[in-house]
This record gives sequence, structure tokens and C-alpha cells, in this order.
Amino acid sequence: MSKERILVVDDEPQIHRFLEPALIAAGYEPARADTGRQAMAEIARKPPDAVVLDLGLPDIDGQEVLKKARAFYDGPIIVLSARDRELEKIEALDAGADDYVEKPFRVGELLARLRVAMRRQARQGEAPPPMVTAGDMVIDLKRDLVTRKGEIVRLSPKEYELLARLARADGRMLTHRDLLVSIWGPAHVEDTQYLRVFIGQLRAKLEADPAEPRHILTQPGIGYRFMADEHV
Amino acid sequence: MKIDEPRRPDPDALLAEAVKAGRGRLKVFLGMAPGVGKTYEMLAQAARRKEEGVDVVVGVVETHGRRETDQLARNLEVMARRPTLHKDRTLLEFDLDSALARKPGLLLVDEYAHSNAAGSRHTKRWQDVEELLAAGINVWTTVNVQHLESLVDVVWKITGARQRETVPDSALSRADDIELVDITPDELRQRLADGKVYLPETARLAATNFFKPENLTALRELALRRMALTVDDQLVAAMRQRGVDGPWAAGERIVVLIGPGPAAGSLVRAGKRLSDMMMDAPWTVAYVERPNKPSPDVAAAASISAAFKLAEQLGGTTVVLTGDNIVGTLLEYVKRNNVTQVVVGKSRPSRWRALFGRSLVPALAEEAAGAALHIITEPGQEDDPAPKNPLQPLRQWRGHLASVFFVAIAGLISAAVDQLHQPADLAMIFLVSVLVSGLAYGFWPAVTAALVSALAYNFFFLEPRLTFYIGHATDFLTFSVFFIVAMATGWLTGRVRDQALATSRRATAITALLAASRRLSASAEKADTASALAEQLAAATGARAVVLLPKNEDIVPAAGSPDLPSLGPADLAAARWTWTHGEAAGADTGTLPNAAWTFRPLQGVRARSGVAGVDPAFMRNEENERFVTALLDQGAVALERAEFAADAADAEALRRSDKLRSALLNSVSHDLRTPLSTVLGSATTLLDYPNALDEAVKTDLLASIREEAERLNRYVGNLLDMTRLEGGGLDIRADWVDVRDVMGAALHRVSRRLGGRKVTRDFHDGLPLVNADPTLLEQAIVNILENAIAYSPDKSSIELAAYDDRNNVVLSIEDDGRGIPTAELVRVFDRFQRMEEPTDRGKGAGLGLAISKGFIEAMGGRIAAASPIHGGHGTRILISLKKAPATVTRAVAHV
Repeated sequence: MSKERILVVDDEPQIHRFLEPALIAAGYEPARADTGRQAMAEIARKPPDAVVLDLGLPDIDGQEVLKKARAFYDGPIIVLSARDRELEKIEALDAGADDYVEKPFRVGELLARLRVAMRRQARQGEAPPPMVTAGDMVIDLKRDLVTRKGEIVRLSPKEYELLARLARADGRMLTHRDLLVSIWGPAHVEDTQYLRVFIGQLRAKLEADPAEPRHILTQPGIGYRFMADEHV
Repeated sequence: MKIDEPRRPDPDALLAEAVKAGRGRLKVFLGMAPGVGKTYEMLAQAARRKEEGVDVVVGVVETHGRRETDQLARNLEVMARRPTLHKDRTLLEFDLDSALARKPGLLLVDEYAHSNAAGSRHTKRWQDVEELLAAGINVWTTVNVQHLESLVDVVWKITGARQRETVPDSALSRADDIELVDITPDELRQRLADGKVYLPETARLAATNFFKPENLTALRELALRRMALTVDDQLVAAMRQRGVDGPWAAGERIVVLIGPGPAAGSLVRAGKRLSDMMMDAPWTVAYVERPNKPSPDVAAAASISAAFKLAEQLGGTTVVLTGDNIVGTLLEYVKRNNVTQVVVGKSRPSRWRALFGRSLVPALAEEAAGAALHIITEPGQEDDPAPKNPLQPLRQWRGHLASVFFVAIAGLISAAVDQLHQPADLAMIFLVSVLVSGLAYGFWPAVTAALVSALAYNFFFLEPRLTFYIGHATDFLTFSVFFIVAMATGWLTGRVRDQALATSRRATAITALLAASRRLSASAEKADTASALAEQLAAATGARAVVLLPKNEDIVPAAGSPDLPSLGPADLAAARWTWTHGEAAGADTGTLPNAAWTFRPLQGVRARSGVAGVDPAFMRNEENERFVTALLDQGAVALERAEFAADAADAEALRRSDKLRSALLNSVSHDLRTPLSTVLGSATTLLDYPNALDEAVKTDLLASIREEAERLNRYVGNLLDMTRLEGGGLDIRADWVDVRDVMGAALHRVSRRLGGRKVTRDFHDGLPLVNADPTLLEQAIVNILENAIAYSPDKSSIELAAYDDRNNVVLSIEDDGRGIPTAELVRVFDRFQRMEEPTDRGKGAGLGLAISKGFIEAMGGRIAAASPIHGGHGTRILISLKKAPATVTRAVAHV
């Protein structure tokens, strides 16, 4: 099996200077693009197995690169962004980014996110898993049934819909917008209080310690992520 | 309104109750006449309250030396009076401020209708009481029914005595309790006869037969009715508050028609009484303006506006209707507004109207179908005539005298030409004198001239001469025609002059207003606007003017003309009153009239923007007052606009500083995080894969960690420099400096980042020293060099030069990069200004050149950029520093 090829898109030469050796050391084949234009050309020329994309590019805005690339590339894309740029991250996630890593980052963290995204990608052709297990809860997505410690947990239809959507995302971060539009409809894009209430109810029913959730995780200001056993 | 609608408490009634909450309660002891024992009753009840433990204090009580009353008062705490110097006498007045400070549980303030001595805060005692109530103090007071504003006319008709001290009806309506102190008229007369009543007013009133039994009976009836009315009011108010539908004045509406005559005030009061009788039916005072008739003269306009003011004080509304036919216009209004009661005055019949038109009352009586007509006979006497301008009679008198003088001259000329001409021609000369009088002094002097001319003509020039006897029938005709012509001439010229004067006054006023408007709108700053307003006011009034603006919760003089006046405490108190209450105060007003100024609020559209003080003398004239009011309105709007402009400027500054802050955040976010990412990433790579990396890679990663740490250090240094520049913490240690040394040091500091770039130096020999801080200069040059490196390709050249230029030493740093587009050149020294694509990203945050500029300018030097410099590329930065005098350079060279 040939090495997986990772395209790093960043205008800072210093980033390439340490990412290249790190990717090689981790067993990947690094590819480099310094501008948005180069990145588009590279993705079109030889689609990489994953893309690490810095949102702050000198020529084309990183978001623009993301949207355009998504038209013809469906491999995992991880964006690099600063911690204080929530809106940027939400926009990128809504535009189809698989995940984000905040700068400055440890190499290990970036590689872990890359691995999860590529594994999810690999599973995409397969039928969705009928069961998702997370701690002592089991979500049976075929029979629309949720059990905890073997006992059936009664959920309202909206609660179940929300939980199922998070579970099917397979560890991916879902933005508020994504959840609200898919479950309550486009008219409720702004009603983030729905999410706070329903997530709270789900945690109360499913988490061992609702105050310190281990599976239904919040990224403040951005969205929610469901961590099944295999992601933990 | 639907009848079966559920009853809800009337919001107005609840609101009125809410306003009352926190206020003190007012109790009024109402009497029909002096001597009924109001004060005694009040003190007796107060004594009982004191026994119950209430904190009772006597604010002011007139016992007039009566023993029983005195005795009662002595058992209570009596406040000291405030001595007030009035003309040559010292009056002891109620001390309002001490009462407010003492804040008793119950304060007794006798004689509600009393007028305060000049120099008090308010002109009337009921205003003092109002302030006490507002401060939460319960007040008991006394008043006689004849002092009520709406009853002044009635009492006058009953007793023939005119009350000067009045209380507005609203002041009585505000009372929470009214107690009638009632004795029979016979009892009162008996007490008077026994000498049990001593009152200063008694003597005066006795002289007018005030205490006649029929008068007392009528007054008693008034008092009893007033009492009954108050009880009704309280009942209605209570019912409305609880949402009980009561016996409303179902559909009664009153309209009072007033004219410009002196009876307007009486008519207004009559309307108020009628409304009282009809359970406070809404009442409106109407005046019909006739567009085809000349507008009413100043006196008439004043009497109408006074009547309107009175109506509003008494709780009525006012309306000005327009139409040529008074009766038709009024009836139209009556029908449209479902008016049920019409009040009109019956004036003495005008012959003119009897000849050419119908009188008002019969016409109304004929056509006012459905509405009741109340006809009030106008009294023959004017009530409280407004004080006339004292200059007026004098000027008139002078006019008449001048007319006689003109006639005398005409007589002399006539005598001179008498030898040569016929008498008929002499009449023309006299006519000229009438004409001149009319043109110079107006209507009445012209009439005088006409009369005197006719008499003089007759006396001196008609046969037989030196008698008033007219011998010939033809002469009599001549005389008669002359007299008629003279009168007509006088009348016409007088009117022409008066109208011309009025027109020119109006034109002057309009021109002045226009000029003021232009002047006021020209100034954008609040302070400028204030001084423009003060100037315009002073110019308009021909006297001093002051404008006060709010400052730190207070109001202070901001501008004055001719200069900023120093206001006395009384003036400032009046100005503050105007500021907080939005009403006129000071001289000639009801509040703090002893101030030297009249203060008017500057009421803008949104809020009050200040207070203007003007000379009271000018404001006494109605026309002047209107003009000043118009000017003040303009001033208020201009001030408000200036406020808006200042707000907008603040917002703009805030927006700009916000923009700067977000640029700073962006810069910190990017320029701190990128090197940190490299450091963290390289370090974790080294830690995570110690065995998978070969030595060369490891060394490179370590080198990149060092470089990025240095970059971070530079960036933090830049941020600190910027902060010092902004915060004023820059410490300049100027010294005599050789720029070649400094440039060399700077070059050494950037040498590692130069790469393959070639540096050439061109320093003139014998370069003089400059006065500069070497550290700051070095940093400034380093920043410029770093910028040059960042924006020029490797292996290009950087040229340094320094030369002597008149009084300066100029340093020049040139690179061979892409250059700066002309459009960007002006902003090259701005903070966070960074060109889109530097060749070598991340050499700064766009702070470098801004810091260089800051440092150079702090040292008194100048910095400029030029680009492109050769063949479409390259940038040159020039620094110019003042060179040392030759003596310094020589002295240094000799060391």
C-alpha cells in the first residue's frame, strides 16, 4: 500500500519547515502549496488523501479555497485557525471542512485529527453502522432505539432525531446551524436555545455525569460533537 | 364606549394618584371671609395632632395679636421668620428653605394666597407650598373663597372689592382635604361689632361695605358651593380610580368665544365656572382670526395671549379658528365638536356694526341650534390693565408738542407770504405741517396738528382776523373743507407712518433672525454656537445676554455678550430653576423675580440644551419678547445640532479606534501565533519522532525554533515601542550622535537576515553630528532596514547614504524591491499598514515604519518615503535630523 499523501496549504514557510519532516516521520507523504491557487491546482492535478488548509492565505481566502475545492474534492479537509476566530471555524465547518485545529498546535494533535478524518472517509462507501456504542449507552439507528445499561431510554422524537444526527456524524463536529436547519428547519437557524435545552435533556438522560459529559460534547460558540467509543 | 364593557380603573386617575404618592398631603381650611376663624381652627386641630404625637411645626401663622390664637400657637414649635428688606421696611417672610431642611411631619402655612416679598424664591406662597408638598411635607393652609382665581370677577361684582392676591383654582384642586370653616353672616358681623376680629384687611374691606349681610351671604354660598364641588371631585376621582363609572358630565362641551377686548379674562373665568358646574366638562377658549381683516395690534394680541394663558392655567384648552365670518366659523366649530354650551360676551353696541352688519349675539342666538348660549355682559372696567411702556406717553407728548411747533412754523411762513397771496393758498401751507406731523409722529399728533392748524388758520387768517369768528359764509366753507382735509390728511399720513414703521420693524426682525440663523448654523462646536447665540441676543436686545450650558450636573455660564457676566447667587438660582423645570425664571417672572436677569430655557427638539439669560427690560415689550423667543428657538436647535455633531464625531473617533483595535488584534493573532505555531510544531515534532528524524532535519527544526523565538521577540519589542509612543512613556535621551555609527550598528543588527542582499554605503566625510537619542534612532533605522529586506528580493542591493543638507543631516535608505504603489505611499507610515504580499512574510506586523516615524518625530526630525525610485521599482526612505552647530562638531573633533 502506497503512503497516504497529505497536502499542506500554508503561506508560512516555517510551518512547512516542521510539518514536512513530521508527516514523513508519521508515515505520510507530504505535499506543499503556498497559495490558494497552488492548492487548487495541486488538488485538481493529483487529489491528495487529506488536506491541511490554513485559512489565512495571501491570494485567495481560505474559505473560498475550501468551497471551490469541495465542488470536486470530497476527501477530508482539516482547517488551521486561531482560537479567537469562532466565526471563521463555523463558516469553514458549514462549507464542508471535516474538522479544525487551533493554532498554535502540537503535531500530535493535528495528526490525530487527520487519522480520525481519514478513517471516517474510508468508511464512507460502506453502509452506516446499525449500532453506535458510547460508554453504557447504545444507539440502535435501525430500530430507533436507545438503551442505557441495557434499559430502554425514553426520548422525545426531537431528542432522538438530534442524538441520531450527532451519532451518524461519526465524531464530526456539527455546527449549531447544521443541527437547527436539519432538525427544526431553516426558520429556526437563530434559535440556539433549542439546542441548549435538548442537549441538556439528552445529557440528563444518557450521560453518567451530565455536568461533565463524556460523549455529547460542546464546543462553545461553534457546535456539538458526539464521541462514540471508537473516537474516545 | 360600550356600556357593558368591564370597568377598568382609569389609567389617568391611577397616574394622578401615582404622582401624588410620595408627595405631602395638603389640607386647606376654606372660609368665606376674613374673621371666620380659619387660623384658630387650624391651630386647634394641629394642637390635637401634636398630642397624638405628630411632629407639628408652625411655618407661618398670622395671629394678629389675638390672645386665644396666640395661646394656641405658643404650644407649638414656631419657625423663625426670614427677615426680608422691602424698600425701607423689613418684612418677616416665611422661611421656605429652613422648612424644607426641618422637614416636619406637618407644617402649618397660613394664608395660601399671600404674595411673597420681592427677593423670595416664588412670588406666591402657594408656590412655596407646592415645593413643600413635592418634598413630601404635609401642609395645612388657609384661604378665603374670594382669593380663588376663577371667582375674582364674581367676588368683584358681589362686593365691589377687587382681589389682588389670588390662588389658581388648580392649587385648591390639588388639596387632598378641604375643610370649610363656616359661621353664619350674622355671627361674623357680631364678632366684628364686638371687636373680636382684628384684621389688617378689615379696615380696607369695611370701607367697601364688604361685610354687608347680603355680601357675606353671597360669599358664604360661593364657599359652600366650592366645598360641594370639591367633595364631588373627590367622589368622581375615587370612582374613576376604582373603575366605577360615575355620573360623568355626559357629553357637555363648552366653548368660550373671546375677542381682543379687555373682557377676554372675564369670559375665560366664566367658562371655567360653567365647566365646574357641569362636573368639569371639557372647555375650550376660541378666538376667530379673520384673514381679510388687518391683524390685531400689539395690545390686542397681548390680551388674547393673556386670555389663552389664563385658560390653560384654569385647565381649559385653547384654539384659534380662521374665517371671515365670526358667527359662521364659530358655529362650524360648535357643530363639528358637538359643543353644547357657548359662552360669548356682549359688548357695548358698536354703531358701525349696527349700520353695516349684525351684532354677534343676535346672530348666534338665531343660528346656534342645539347649543345653549351664555351671554356675559362685559364690565365697563378693564381688569388689571397691563403696565404701559413708560416711554409711550412721553413720546406721544413730545409728538403733540412737535405738531404744535410745525403748525407754528406753518403760521409764520403763512404770515410772511400773506402779503402776496390769497388766504386759500395759505391753507396749503398748514396742510403741509399736518402732513409732516403725521409722517414724523403718527396718527394722534397729526390730529392735533390738524386741529391746531384749523384754529390757527381761522384765528390769524380768516376775516375778521384775531378772532375765531368767521365772517363770510364762503370763509366758513373754506374753513370746514380745510378742517376735513386736514383731519383726513393727518389720519392717512399717521396710518401710513405707523404701518411703515411696523413693516420696517418686522423686516428688521426678520433680517436679524435670518442673520442669526446663518450665524448659528455656521458654528459647529457647541461653545461657538453658544457664543454666537449670546452675541445675537445681545445685538437683538441692545443689552447684555448670557448663555448657560450644562456641565457636571450643573449649569454654568458658557458664553456672554458683550462679555461673560458674573452671575450672582440669585441669578444662578434662577438659571438652575429654569434648567431643571424648563420654565422661565428670574426678573419679571413668578419664580425668583429678584434676579437681575430673565432666564429662558433653550428647548430643543430632543431635550433642553441650555438656558439663556436676557435683560428683563427688553422682554417687557410683547413684540420684542416674540422676537427673542424665536431667536431662542433657533439657538436651541443650533445647540442641539452641535450636540449631535459632537456625538457623531465621538462615534467616529470610537469607530476609528475600534478599527485600530481590531487591526491590532488581527496583528497579534497572526504575528504572535505564526511563530508560536512554528516553535510548538517543531518542538513537538522533535519530541514525538526522536528516532524517525535524521540529524540535519533535527538541526533545522532547532534553528527554526530559534529564529521564530527571535521573531517573536522583535514583534513584542515593536508592540512595546508602539505602546510607549502611544502612551507617552517615551523617554528621549538626546545626545550628540554620529549617524554613521548608528547606521553601522543598525546594519549589524539585521546582518543575519540580509541573506544575499548587497549593502552599499555612501557617507559624506566630515558629516556633522546630530542631536538625537541613539537607541531610538538605531531602532528606527533597524525597522526601515527590516522593511527593506522584507520587501526586496534576495541578492538585490540596499543602499545607505548620509549627507549634509543645509541645517540638517539626511539619512537615505534605498532598496530595490517592488516599490510602493503611489496610492499606498501616503499610508506607508500608518500603523498596521502592510502591503498585501511581502516577499518574505512575517517580518513585522505593519508596525515597523509607524514606529520609525514616531521615534524620528519624537526627536524633532522628519521622515518621508519615495517610490518608485529607479525604473519602476525600489523604495527610498529619507530621515532628516537637525545637525549640531559647527561649534559642537569642532569641539568634539578636538577632543
